[in-house]
Amino acid sequence: MKFVIRRFKDDKSFWQSFEVPVKKGMTLLDGLFYIRENIDPSLAFRASCRMGICGSCAVKVNGRPRLACETQLSKFKKEIKIEPLDNFRVIRDLVTEFEGFFAKHKKVKPYLIANTDYENPIEQLQTPEELKKYYIFTLCIKCGSCLSVCPSSATLESSLGPAALVSAYRFNADSRDRGKEERLKIVSESFGVWRCHSAMECSEVCPKQIEPAKAIQLLRRETLR
Amino acid sequence: MGVMSWFKYKSPFGLAFAFQRITGIILLFYLILHLCYLTSLQSRELYETLTSITVSRQFIIFDSLLILCGVFHGVNGIRIIIHELGIGHELRRVVLAVSAIIAILGWIIGSYILFMALGD
Repeated sequence: MKFVIRRFKDDKSFWQSFEVPVKKGMTLLDGLFYIRENIDPSLAFRASCRMGICGSCAVKVNGRPRLACETQLSKFKKEIKIEPLDNFRVIRDLVTEFEGFFAKHKKVKPYLIANTDYENPIEQLQTPEELKKYYIFTLCIKCGSCLSVCPSSATLESSLGPAALVSAYRFNADSRDRGKEERLKIVSESFGVWRCHSAMECSEVCPKQIEPAKAIQLLRRETLR
Repeated sequence: MGVMSWFKYKSPFGLAFAFQRITGIILLFYLILHLCYLTSLQSRELYETLTSITVSRQFIIFDSLLILCGVFHGVNGIRIIIHELGIGHELRRVVLAVSAIIAILGWIIGSYILFMALGD
């Protein structure tokens, strides 16, 4: 199979082709490793868990963001086009800069704010029904696919983007959390929920099918209460 | 990337978003043009002369495209409102397909009525 990869070196971008022998069950990530180990050791890409948990290996495949480790090469015919994610600054080849993405995430306080007595800690109980309200949104792996296709994030860099807003909703919907008001104040600003134009591309490309667009609309509803 | 990102769609939803933007701009442009045109008509003779040009079979294609823009913008807008109320996210593909069918039917019916009105 022909791998056509968009590479970036010294502020210049160019397309480079590689021939990769494909075996049954081989993933795109396996193909990239094959290139690095056998053809061009200078090819840069990011990967870690190889099982769709860490979210490091998201790249644009034939124009659509996908996790390289979960993309079977048998899905494609003779040629496959691989590019770094859009809406992110490219560091080199397929490696993009995620600092801004995580800074946005941090902004919404993505952790449990609870009235915990650390001297006498007690278990924070929750019913299965309460867990069900937000469980799907805990599956976000921060791969950045949603932000890379979000037209609102493309037109305004300071826009929080779908992943951060999903996190905000996930903690706001958690019955153990007491930081709802703090988060609502942050996401109500102009770069927050009101920046979303409901293009719904985020829900379409999410590799975990967590419906970021729905989380944003539910968060919007909360801000109006 | 700016506004060019509107056209880098990955799914029919992105395409609908891009069309929503384009039709919105077209409708705004048409509204301004329409108001300028109407305010420029100072006499009955001028009104009749200009409407004999614009309300004609040669212009029907533009009127038909305008109906398409208006119907699509309206129907797609309702689809977005439904989802923005937090309803039907899981059924979004069905909702999109239904809204596309309604928009096409609305366009065909609107264009037919217009064509028949001009035929008289």
